[in-house]
Amino acid sequence: MMRSRKTAGRQTGRQRLERQKEIIVESLKLPKDSMLGASIVTVTGNEEAFVENYRGILEYSPECIVLQGKTCQISISGKRMTIDYYTNEDMKISGCIECIRYH
Amino acid sequence: MLQFIQFLRGYVCIRVWGYSPERFMNLCSNHDIFLWDIHNCGEYYTMCITVSGFRRLKGIVKKTGTKVAIQKRCGLPFFVPKMKRRKIFLLGLTGSLVFWMWMSTFIWAVEIEGNYSISDDVFMDFLKQNDVFVGMKRDAVNIEELEKKIRQDFGIVTWTSAKIDGTRLEIQIKENEVDTGAEEEGAAGGQEKTGNESGSDLIAEEDGQIVSMVTRAGVPQVAVGAEVKKGDVLVAGAVPVYNEDATIKGYQYYDADADIFISHPLLQTEELPLVYEKKEYTGEEKKEFFITVMGKEIFFRIGKVKYENYDIVTDKNQVKLLDNFYLPVYYGSSVNREYVLTDNIYTKDEVKKIFSEKLIKFITGLEEKGVQIIQKNVTIDKKNKKWQMRIDLQIVEQTGTSIPIVPQAEEPVPEEGTAEEEIQAAD
Repeated sequence: MMRSRKTAGRQTGRQRLERQKEIIVESLKLPKDSMLGASIVTVTGNEEAFVENYRGILEYSPECIVLQGKTCQISISGKRMTIDYYTNEDMKISGCIECIRYH
Repeated sequence: MLQFIQFLRGYVCIRVWGYSPERFMNLCSNHDIFLWDIHNCGEYYTMCITVSGFRRLKGIVKKTGTKVAIQKRCGLPFFVPKMKRRKIFLLGLTGSLVFWMWMSTFIWAVEIEGNYSISDDVFMDFLKQNDVFVGMKRDAVNIEELEKKIRQDFGIVTWTSAKIDGTRLEIQIKENEVDTGAEEEGAAGGQEKTGNESGSDLIAEEDGQIVSMVTRAGVPQVAVGAEVKKGDVLVAGAVPVYNEDATIKGYQYYDADADIFISHPLLQTEELPLVYEKKEYTGEEKKEFFITVMGKEIFFRIGKVKYENYDIVTDKNQVKLLDNFYLPVYYGSSVNREYVLTDNIYTKDEVKKIFSEKLIKFITGLEEKGVQIIQKNVTIDKKNKKWQMRIDLQIVEQTGTSIPIVPQAEEPVPEEGTAEEEIQAAD
């Protein structure tokens, strides 16, 4: 965590540091989601999606839900989508999911 | 389970609108306020939130520039104060609960199963005499004592079981069919012996030839191979007592008892018309519902049943409270199926099939009665515009009915006896 804060300050050599971090995480076999801040999206069929490791909601409408992850944005589009519950750790989205996009 | 806990702890459904509802949600999650059932309703959002979470919303609302309104309060913490205000309702509810609990301490129905020769009325009278009646306290029923009493008072009953199922007293009994017959006979015989001292004879029920004969009591009048006619005495109940000089001293009267099998022919004819009417369902049907209250039927259907011929198939259910409190209200549905009657002619195969079914039924009926079939001759003919089956059987069956020895038959015996005695005296 300390290291990531330091890298956030410097823009130059950021990619190099990221790469080094990935190598260390992979060689020590540490869980990637907690170490690299990767979001986990678990989709069951096309009706349910569980999302973990995110910062917050950017947009919420029945057609599109945009979430801010730690590294990227996740937009889930579909129809009649609702949020069943929403906590600091995870959330459950249900509805007809058509597309999940990272950008 | 989660919903139940949420209900116990209480929650509120809120409506959120304003500048940035998404930020409101993010801040809620950052402050560990649990949100669920979040819906976007266009201009506003609706969601559920715990009561404790709702109390912490003030700062978040200020920060995000949103407005929050309570839509619905749910759960036990809101329900109890509401109920406290409705005192009469609560009183009624608890009153009815107490009433039902109190009522369930009584016996409300007595059911008797397995009684064939003892009628229900007799049994109910017996129960009344023993202080078991509908409406008595459930605790007051002494089941073991009752079972004992039933066995003691009804000699016929070999086994009894009584149990209380809810508010119903179920009594199951088993009657001894075989022994009771013997007992009755024995009792009757005993009476006759002690009463007028006349036994009974066994007479033939049918014409035929004796095939086998085992006599237990009485004097056999016929032997194996003999031809007998209906009404002939097979075993006489009067057993002669001889003097030393082989003259008859008198008679002892018994109930003649023997297993006698006779063989005789049995003729049976079955008829079937050439044509028959067959129901052909047209596929048209009309469903209707009904409710029966105290014997009055109320039907619910669209239009009238306009079929000329139709079958009604009814499915009827009785309304009951809990498991065994039956109310005099029935409900159900019935289907009216239209059919057309068409005249059909039996084919030979159909006739054969119907007749063979009848034959099998007839023969099994005979076999159930213990009749043995020695010879069987079946013919099927068309006679007088009818199909006719002739069944010629040669059967062996048990015969012999007891009839009390008629006084006329007795009269000559004592006369003879007295005559002989007189002769003896003269000698």
